[in-house]
Amino acid sequence: MSSSRRVVITGIGIANPLGIGPAAFWDALERGTNGIRTIQLFDPSAMTTRFAGEIEGFDAKDYIDKKDRKSLRVMARGIQLAVAAAQLALDDSGVDKEKLDPTRFGVEFGSGLLPTELQELGVAGQISTNGVPGFVDLKKWGKEGLAGIPPLWMLKYLPNMHACHVSILHNAQGPNNTITQSDVAGVLAVSEASRIIARNQADFFLVGGADSKVNPLSFVRQCLFGHLSQRNESPDKACRPFERGRDGIVIGEGGCVLVMEDLEHAKRRSARIYAELVGCGAAFDRDHTGGGHVRAMRSALAQAGLQPDDIDHVNAHGLSSVKSDAVEAGAIKQVFGSCRRPVPVFAPKSYFGNLGAGSGTSELAASLLALGHGQIPATRNYEEPDPACPVAVTRRLEPLTRPHFLKLGFNELGQCAAVVCKKWT
Amino acid sequence: MRRRIVITGMGAITPLGHSVDELYRSQLAGKSGVAPIRLFEASTFPTTFAAEVKNFDLGGYVRDPQRWDNSGVNTRFALAAAQQALSDAGLLGNGVDPSRCGIYFGSGEGIQDFNHLIPLIAEGYRNRENTVDSVKFAAGGLRYFHPGREFEQELHTTPGHVADYFGLEGPNYNCLTACAASSQAIGEATELIRHGDADLMLSGGSHSMIHPLGVTGFCLLTALSKHNEEPTKASRPFDLHRDGFVLGEGSGMLVLEELEHARRRGARIYAELTGYGSTADAFRITDSHPEGRGAIACMQGALDDAGLKPETIGYINAHGTSTQVNDRVETVAIKKIFGAHAYKVPVSSSKSMLGHLIAAAGAVELITCIMAIQHGVLPPTINYEVPDPECDLDYIPNTAREKRVDHVLSNSFGFGGQNVSLVVSRFDR
Repeated sequence: MSSSRRVVITGIGIANPLGIGPAAFWDALERGTNGIRTIQLFDPSAMTTRFAGEIEGFDAKDYIDKKDRKSLRVMARGIQLAVAAAQLALDDSGVDKEKLDPTRFGVEFGSGLLPTELQELGVAGQISTNGVPGFVDLKKWGKEGLAGIPPLWMLKYLPNMHACHVSILHNAQGPNNTITQSDVAGVLAVSEASRIIARNQADFFLVGGADSKVNPLSFVRQCLFGHLSQRNESPDKACRPFERGRDGIVIGEGGCVLVMEDLEHAKRRSARIYAELVGCGAAFDRDHTGGGHVRAMRSALAQAGLQPDDIDHVNAHGLSSVKSDAVEAGAIKQVFGSCRRPVPVFAPKSYFGNLGAGSGTSELAASLLALGHGQIPATRNYEEPDPACPVAVTRRLEPLTRPHFLKLGFNELGQCAAVVCKKWT
Repeated sequence: MRRRIVITGMGAITPLGHSVDELYRSQLAGKSGVAPIRLFEASTFPTTFAAEVKNFDLGGYVRDPQRWDNSGVNTRFALAAAQQALSDAGLLGNGVDPSRCGIYFGSGEGIQDFNHLIPLIAEGYRNRENTVDSVKFAAGGLRYFHPGREFEQELHTTPGHVADYFGLEGPNYNCLTACAASSQAIGEATELIRHGDADLMLSGGSHSMIHPLGVTGFCLLTALSKHNEEPTKASRPFDLHRDGFVLGEGSGMLVLEELEHARRRGARIYAELTGYGSTADAFRITDSHPEGRGAIACMQGALDDAGLKPETIGYINAHGTSTQVNDRVETVAIKKIFGAHAYKVPVSSSKSMLGHLIAAAGAVELITCIMAIQHGVLPPTINYEVPDPECDLDYIPNTAREKRVDHVLSNSFGFGGQNVSLVVSRFDR
């Protein structure tokens, strides 16, 4: 069943609360910089939680050719983050786009529900409502309201548009897919794209995830779900994965695209290689006890032909949620508990929050960069261990001691995935 | 030798019936599922009709339907179609290893709380600045939105609920590539089994965009037919007077299984999934490539994957949306792949009867293809009255046709340029 084709990662493009581009991103991880602040993108004062991981000074125009800029008008912010990260990934990979075979060039994204920008429905709404909550006059909406909405309104919010715009901007005519499994979408997209390359249906892939819930509609919904941290007085202390005082999730926004490539293709163009993707696994955690996490991790290890002791560190999902972190820690312990040394666990969300569909690739990028720098970043805000989370969370920069790491991702319904990457030497 | 993947169960909730048999019989009879919209007051919209699922009762399929009261029909249809497919495959209560059984859906989003969202936007809207007061909006949203119903709009809920209810603990994916989604899901589910990640996958799609914002969006794009005076005649793929697609809704589910796994448990085998191709047009967000570049490449990809020559294909279930551009370009693409054989292979569009089930379309159409292989009767394209000189293939006009077919090609092309083709074949030991 295994293929002889090997898949390597040769580019990282990232737009993150910590910075834009892999150098700025790593620099912030190395210094332990906080990326979470009181929300500036809109006035959050009526929200129950009023902070998030926001990207400062992001302007998509900086990452798109002049001739293509008008297409930005039909891109919600999440799509713009995807398009910017894709351009940055191509730049980082050093590829000469003209030399790529477009039919062997694929695109795959993790994506989520895109909220409408409220003002786009403002005129239509005023025409067809009378101030009574829960009432819309659909006859008025249909007759007069529609004319007040931008004609391409719907296209701006379709979840597949990240991958569509990226394929159009870069002439990628190969396989194209969009995974919509919430927080685990990015890890699943990476897994699937690697399989497509391995089975010889593409040579070169842009694989990413991007999401922004830092807008009034998405944020109201997140507040209603009742799972957010309430530390409004100290946002920089709010995201504390596996730590005793954690009180909930912190929302962030961001996009990250990886260039994934057939090894021989990468060698032919003398590409710089970050890592090889050596294993993927996925499972469903039906009873919310971590069994799915364990099976996803074990199948990724098995596909890689590795033992738990071979893993340098686990790049955790680490939501900073009271229950979810305990389940995850238990699962990591089940897989790695018998290792000769406690496996270091690094939780990247402590820096920038939960990027939703953008989290998987963004967090993978942190460990990919760690391989090159020989150091695993600290997990921010890890002050007092929680006995319910019996794992060795990184407290400071730690030296890398082994060439492999494992990235785990999942979501609240139990959809789990894991990938294992190996440092390229 | 790569692992072979067979289909051992099917289920469907559609505008033409709530079972695979009823769906197929209605298609052979050339019935239309299209009628004036009843789900909401649509009488002043530019398009006032759609193909709705009628008289659906989740209680007929699951023990505790009230568990999904907050869910949209995307989840509710999916649960029912999944129950049918798993039961059809003899899997309910059967001792298969749950960790080797996964899900890959192309399921759409849930339905937004339109009646609360719009007044809240209107209340906070400031015309002069074209902005909405986020403080007012947030205060109202926290008060009026229902947390459970808001959560159920998320894109991962349908595969999550179905996995939970039926105990499928293997890989769990959902893709949303517009109108290609459930075909792509079936293709990638096949690849997961081929690779060994699972032995069995429940795959398909579920979707409804027949709600105020969905119909609004498509009307604004001028993508929908406006044949308001005669809805059943509105979806007319390949006919000269076609003027846009017709929205449908529903779910189609298939059990895909590794051949030896199916044999060991003595499962009935409907057909073999032999080919899958996926490409992108990489052309424009709003238009497909005029020469069908991506469509040609994905049909070729599916044929190559199946190891079949075009002449072996006995029937093509077209994407056939009834828009001017799609039907013309799809015809061009079929001719490019099939050459002279293009005029000999019957082509039809299920959308002429079902409307366009968006993310769920491909799965329901693949079920139709499998039934055609099983029963040797090909469903027609209804409302085919005036030939279009640019669409000059054999579209099985208006009447079903008896023909034994061994290999069938099904096309699904998504808005934004994702193309998927699947090949199903008569099962041959």
